[in-house]
Amino acid sequence: MTETNDLLKKVIESVIGGDEAAAEALARQALEQKMDPLQVINEGYVVGIKQVGDLFECGELFLPELIQAAEAVKKATELLNSAITGGAESSKGKVLIATVEGDIHDIGKAIVVSLLVANGFNVLDLGRDVPTLDIIAKAEEFKADVIGTSALLTTTMVKQKELEETLVKEGLKSKYKTIVGGAPVTVRWAEKIGADAYAENAGEGVNKIIKLISGS
Amino acid sequence: MIVTRMGDGSFIKMSEEEVKADIEAGVEDAVKRGKIEPLTAAEIDYLVDICCRPQKFVSVQQGNELILTYDSGTLKITRLGIPIGMPQIMQIYERAFAADTLELAYVHYSFKPIKMIVPEEQYAVAETSLVTTAPLFYGAMPNLPLYTQPDGPCPNAAELLPAGKIAEARAAQEEAVEYAVKDMVFVGSGVYEAGADGIDFDTTAAAGDAEFQATLLACEQLRAKYPDMAIEIGMAGEFVLGFHGQLEYDGVRLAGLYPHQQVKLAEKAGASIFGAVVNTNSSRTFPWNLGRAVTFCKACVEAAKIPVHANVGMGVGAVPLVMTPPIDCVSRASTAMAEVGKLDGL
Repeated sequence: MTETNDLLKKVIESVIGGDEAAAEALARQALEQKMDPLQVINEGYVVGIKQVGDLFECGELFLPELIQAAEAVKKATELLNSAITGGAESSKGKVLIATVEGDIHDIGKAIVVSLLVANGFNVLDLGRDVPTLDIIAKAEEFKADVIGTSALLTTTMVKQKELEETLVKEGLKSKYKTIVGGAPVTVRWAEKIGADAYAENAGEGVNKIIKLISGS
Repeated sequence: MIVTRMGDGSFIKMSEEEVKADIEAGVEDAVKRGKIEPLTAAEIDYLVDICCRPQKFVSVQQGNELILTYDSGTLKITRLGIPIGMPQIMQIYERAFAADTLELAYVHYSFKPIKMIVPEEQYAVAETSLVTTAPLFYGAMPNLPLYTQPDGPCPNAAELLPAGKIAEARAAQEEAVEYAVKDMVFVGSGVYEAGADGIDFDTTAAAGDAEFQATLLACEQLRAKYPDMAIEIGMAGEFVLGFHGQLEYDGVRLAGLYPHQQVKLAEKAGASIFGAVVNTNSSRTFPWNLGRAVTFCKACVEAAKIPVHANVGMGVGAVPLVMTPPIDCVSRASTAMAEVGKLDGL
């Protein structure tokens, strides 16, 4: 038990330190010691990335460190996921994410993607400047549970409204949960356009998506 | 019920108790993030009073008036489509708007494009200084992203970071700092020698810690070159974003600094005035934003040895994020900054 706890503690430290090599080595060590991969993910890597998210939120860790930590988690969890029975992925759900058409900003979205992947979601990142119809077509193809869109400009946030309207028009609204974010976007905007959720920052985005998928 | 606004400018109604609770929550947020002292109970009650007064326009008691300055003055009149030149615009600010200092600015409002037209700006500065008496600043933004691709020579950290190329992203920002410092010193020297009383580095650190470092270094060089030059460092937000994360000035890590810490480095670099900025959260109420902004600014003033001018305008200093800042909020925020924050100017 102590051995397991020690390893989990080291896993958390490796994630907070953004130490990719250590995070990967610890994943291998856990597999060699026949530890439950899901336990290592949930009690080690996910705990670590949540702490990184909290430190980022408090302004004690910054974007480069956040990305390093997310990369460390991604590589290690890939290893552990492949060891889970039959190699099946332990995805918490499928999230399609995009910056809307006309908007080329994607740093914030990249943070959300990193945190979602690190938290065990299967994420399809369509990048930036993505037309509404492309978002819907890819969501259908990917069989997404959640569609997340980001807009950094008041002139492009109307595309989030267009997405909601198009989903309703095509009879697809009930098929997906939608979440919106971006600097000019507010909870009132989300309510106004009919989005299912609004997230002010990356950490909140992950929590809201977990709630959307669990239906709570 | 009290009529006030959300940070996005829309009207809401709150009870006096709700106003007070939101002010206290805003104060608490500033205290938690900045690790600073909260406002006193009396100060919070005074903010409640300011928010709850029925008048549309609220002001300070006689004797509590502040220095009033405007940034990028020439751009704001030009935007209205009024076809007059820079000296006349500055005269309007001085003689009609009661501005205590004037700021001349070029439409692109960034040092990089201005370096191409310094002789033209020198002419405007010289001409304006002949027809005005208030201190004349020349203002522009450091705007570090203009030095990165596709607008400049350095690789783009915003593309490198999401790709996990951390070292490359940091090196690119360090390279951009060198270009930016040269341009700021070149333009600052040019306009000062043409007759401007000072320079305003506006919206500093909008691109994060590297941009803050570039501005501090440029300020340091200009101070060494021109001991009597007025130098204002106005910030972009209450928090220095860590796009690089490891840069320092005078042994202090720049990422994550709040106004009371930023001002100490501005002093060290030789700034004469510090422009404290606290961003408005558009999802929160005006009372919440007011409590938060005044708490940060008061802590900054208490830490400062140089005058502190708070930014109170669109989306900053508790003012809602709308194109035309509403006077009910602007006047309340200004009053609070003067009488509770004890700012030196707005």
